[in-house]
Amino acid sequence: MTVPTGLSAFQQYQLQFAGHIRDPKNIARPARVAAKRMRVYREIVYNNLEVSLAGCFPVCKKVLGKRLWHKLVRGFFVHHRSHSPLFRQIPEEFLAFLGQAHLYADLPPLPGYLNNLAHYEWIELDVSAAELDDDWDHINVHGDLLSGKPVLAAAMALLSYDYPVQAISPRFKPGEPLQQAVNLFVFRDADDQVRFIELNALTARLLSLLQMQDLTGRQALELIAEEIRHPDPEAMKEFGRAVLEDLRQQGVILGVHGD
Amino acid sequence: MIESGSIRGAGLGLKRELIPQIQAAYGERLTASIDFLEIAPENWIAAGGKSARQLEWFVYRYPIVCHGLSLSLGGPDPLNVDFLRRVKTFLDAHHIPLYTEHLSYCSDGGYLYDLLPIPFTQEAVHYVSARIRQTQDILGRRIAVENASFYVAAPVSEMDELSFIRAVLEEADCDLHLDINNIYVNSVNFGYDPHEFLRGIPGERIVYGHVAGHDRQAADLIIDTHGQNVIDPVWALLEEAYALFGSFPTLLERDMNIPPLEDLMREVDMIARLQKNSEAQSQARAKESIHLTQPASPVAAAT
Repeated sequence: MTVPTGLSAFQQYQLQFAGHIRDPKNIARPARVAAKRMRVYREIVYNNLEVSLAGCFPVCKKVLGKRLWHKLVRGFFVHHRSHSPLFRQIPEEFLAFLGQAHLYADLPPLPGYLNNLAHYEWIELDVSAAELDDDWDHINVHGDLLSGKPVLAAAMALLSYDYPVQAISPRFKPGEPLQQAVNLFVFRDADDQVRFIELNALTARLLSLLQMQDLTGRQALELIAEEIRHPDPEAMKEFGRAVLEDLRQQGVILGVHGD
Repeated sequence: MIESGSIRGAGLGLKRELIPQIQAAYGERLTASIDFLEIAPENWIAAGGKSARQLEWFVYRYPIVCHGLSLSLGGPDPLNVDFLRRVKTFLDAHHIPLYTEHLSYCSDGGYLYDLLPIPFTQEAVHYVSARIRQTQDILGRRIAVENASFYVAAPVSEMDELSFIRAVLEEADCDLHLDINNIYVNSVNFGYDPHEFLRGIPGERIVYGHVAGHDRQAADLIIDTHGQNVIDPVWALLEEAYALFGSFPTLLERDMNIPPLEDLMREVDMIARLQKNSEAQSQARAKESIHLTQPASPVAAAT
């Protein structure tokens, strides 16, 4: 790091001070500052950051192991400039860094599943705090899911991962991506609990249509029947009704749009 | 709904770990001395779901102080105006009467999520004061800044901490959030007399106070963890501050190693007790001075 000129002396000192805390290996502490006291800052600031990240990414930390995890957190601190003043968004900053991590030569190679796993761990936090509330005044909870337009839980995410993220652990670290992506629906239920549901490809497609478009259940199922060239669209619709009812039972679908 | 009146009495920092306990003991004797609560806006802004419902519950029942962490008043980056606007919306939406920030910095082109010391120079006084004024303009209200704890004295400093604080308060024309524990922590870390420091504080600007515990690492080093009980010398400083400046609303901070609410309430009760004592003493003094200034006899008074 080169300290920019044109800044006040006190600001040059501040940048050197913070730079040393981020990257003590490459950036010297400011002149005439006691090494022992500087170490206090290096440790406290790093530890606080690490605790915030470990709180959101406990599985990443476990599967990477201590050494690699700390290298990664240090890399984040050295290379990434976080733009969110909100502490809750530190994990999001870390995800952004992971997306760029391959660019940094001083970082060790990372497992292929890591970005998927980190996203999976983060999404729980994100959905739990999403500023979206179910609009119960405009939902008919008993409405017909084929003739009506189904409404999904407001705080939710429909996800597709290349790795079996829910199964990853220190004893199961997949080397290769799956043949078929795993589809997950993550949502905040009526008790503010975040829940994960694994979906087959057809159900995932159905939910993505309902999420993106203003469709009745029947219209969505007809579209899918066309897409997969289903030989018996009527049977498909009956099967679809059962799927939709099951999703309503689970709290994924809240009901249909009321007037 | 709580009126947006001023903050009074004794308070407790609202940590998530404590939320269920405070809710369960609401209205009971245990929590009787909690007059207000404090939150970090950075932990509650833009939080939906359970957080939003909890905040709603507390805002409805307690006056709330916002004690910010990320404004980086002393930082080299431009003031984060977008963030400040969100703070303003948040304060307005929840009728929060008081917003305070640290005399420190926490960014260097990106956030470090920790508080670092500002070197005490004349340039820094002007710089920080201008940013406090800008903050007050954007928020449309006065703010209070808090004396920070720190571990490294900047060799580039041109004045001592007290001179710096006084100069900033004067030039920014803002209020003071006096952290009693930080005075003690710094007095040990930099070897000065905390009582003398306290007596140099411009008392007329104090609107709010903090006490907390800390971790003693060595004879000359305290880490300001807010992870222990408040120690007696800090209580004594608080008592002295009340005697010098009159009592002011004061909050117990506990951020680590959080004990059950019962234990924390003993310390909140202690704040309330010291405040009551100080108010009783100043009333007694006021009465005494009325006696002294009154005419010596009814006859004299009649003439």
